Amino acid sequence: MKNAIMNQKLLSIAVAALSLFPLSANAARPVKLGFINSITGKEAQIGENLTNGAAMAVDDMTAKGYAVTVVREDDGGDPKNALAAYEKLVTRDRVIGVVGPYTSGSANVVASRADQYNVPILVPAAAKEEITMKGYRNVFRLNAPANVYSLVLMKAVADFKPKTIAYVYAANDFGVSTVKTAQENALSMGLKEVANEKYQQGQPDYRATLAKVKAANPDLVFLVSYDADAILLMRQAKEIGLSPKAFLGAGAGYTTAQFAQQKDISNLVVSATQWTDDVNWPGASDFGKRYKARFGKEPSYHAACAYEAMRIMIETASKTEDPVKLRTTLKNGSWNGIMGPVRFSDYSGFTNQNNHSMLVQQIQNGSYETVYPAQFSKKNIVYPFRR
Amino acid sequence: MLFLQSLISGLLTGGVYALAGMGMSMVFGVMNVSNFAHGDLMMLGMYLAYFAFTLLNIDPYLSLVLIIPLAFMFGYVLEKVFINRVIHHPHQNQILLTIGLGLIMSNSALLAFTSDPRILTTSYSSSSFTVFRDVSVSVPLLLSFIITCGITALLYLFLSGTRTGMALRATSQNREAAQLMGINVSRITAIAFGIGTALAAAAGALIAPTYYIHPLAGHSFLLKAFTICVLGGLGSVVGATVGGLIIGVVEALSSVYLSSDWKDVVVFVLFLAVLLFRPQGLFGKKGDQ
Repeated sequence: MKNAIMNQKLLSIAVAALSLFPLSANAARPVKLGFINSITGKEAQIGENLTNGAAMAVDDMTAKGYAVTVVREDDGGDPKNALAAYEKLVTRDRVIGVVGPYTSGSANVVASRADQYNVPILVPAAAKEEITMKGYRNVFRLNAPANVYSLVLMKAVADFKPKTIAYVYAANDFGVSTVKTAQENALSMGLKEVANEKYQQGQPDYRATLAKVKAANPDLVFLVSYDADAILLMRQAKEIGLSPKAFLGAGAGYTTAQFAQQKDISNLVVSATQWTDDVNWPGASDFGKRYKARFGKEPSYHAACAYEAMRIMIETASKTEDPVKLRTTLKNGSWNGIMGPVRFSDYSGFTNQNNHSMLVQQIQNGSYETVYPAQFSKKNIVYPFRR
Repeated sequence: MLFLQSLISGLLTGGVYALAGMGMSMVFGVMNVSNFAHGDLMMLGMYLAYFAFTLLNIDPYLSLVLIIPLAFMFGYVLEKVFINRVIHHPHQNQILLTIGLGLIMSNSALLAFTSDPRILTTSYSSSSFTVFRDVSVSVPLLLSFIITCGITALLYLFLSGTRTGMALRATSQNREAAQLMGINVSRITAIAFGIGTALAAAAGALIAPTYYIHPLAGHSFLLKAFTICVLGGLGSVVGATVGGLIIGVVEALSSVYLSSDWKDVVVFVLFLAVLLFRPQGLFGKKGDQ
């Protein structure tokens, strides 16, 4: 009798051990995951960062003994392709979880269908708030949503008491939703809006728009742009002689290494980011170094987001092997990695949203320096802006 | 001040649009082919200017001397090998072929040069000077505009003064009659496509110092070039020049007085109005397409 109890105890310990170390149990059958990203199209440059970040996560986890197959799909930055990709992954490839899509537009559309198919998606870097605001049970988001971009930026310059603000932003989901919340934040800070310019991406000439902004003479210019539009806008801003007290760039185009290299136009531009490599989250600087060694360039925050999202997905999916269990485990779990502490919780209207703490950085002599919040930063913000 | 500022930057940008439109118009006029690879040919011009600058240290505007003949030869060969085969086919076949060629070019560029946008930074890239107290004029844009004017003038002289130019115009007016008059029509078509390609590449090279260089950068210009052609009258070089300037100015003014978001709407309303009231375009002849 005693022996039987002993055996049972041993068995339960063994089961517990197995579930703690899923590698031995899953080595035979790899867990199947999907990854939707913008590999081609307008957003391809940032998409490449996500591709690289996710690839590093897969390699790191494989090295740790996790067996995983990742089916990669390209949405070309187009929401309808993203939806088709998700449906294909779920119905034909039978994946149990999906990381992506990258852009707000794509992620929002896929999110609206995730509950129908009951296969969870983990959005790594899309900012549109709506994605996690509709109460979808199968939609999880790692990065901070759009409202945080403007909030941290405005907090970073609040001490200098700016009075007026102008908005210049791309006419896409990211731009519109970021500015919408920025306007709410500006209102509560008592900032007066003097110009509001939404532009179509990829145009060669923004001079007329910028001249209009200059005529309004704002203290702060709040910009939302993807990719190279950021360089173009800042170049033409210099030409026109637009020189506010601060340029606030919300993510994307203002956080690339290429932008920082254009010193004569990018110096002292302030931007919000989800991640930097000098932040004290576990493994952040190591990730930065390894990424640079492998791909020959600095990782953007998107790379870090994709890495962490893929890592969390692989770890959790290997434990569960089933979309429904995966959902509950994601919901109840907590992680701590290169993006700091991660937990998908419900707060102020969001569902399954990681309450991620964003960082503010400023380009000082060609490199990004974290300047806010104080506990993560080594340098002070330079204000007002000067050429 | 604001009006003058937007007028000047609109005119200068319009100059480059005009160059892009002219190449397309030329090809359409002589060959009756809508070249949907035009934007991608522009993109190749951008990369040529970029590599001439970074590898050979040649100023992007100076590199036109190399780019134009190179692009002409490329276009000539392209016509002889591909376009030539569909010249008597229905429009949809021609469109499929040129779209296909464009896709091959842009995706090869994506493979070879990656999707990282390149920025051509010259010493004068973001320099400007001020006129009328407060109106800034971009130096690289002004240079592009002057060169565009030069190229347009040369093209005009070539078309009106030389035998080949005359043959080009004759072929454009009536292909069969030109052939009966002893013009080597197949050679002329290849030349027309060569010139079209050279103009596209030149437009690409001229815009490179003030824009960014990306494998898909040509796409936004393709639509613009097409609009310009129809606005000015398909096949009319003068029409394309005027059309380009109009679009540049309309874009700039509408982004100041309406909203940057609405400028494309204004352009296309104008486009529709022209189609409604003057379907042959501003400078087109009645009965052409």
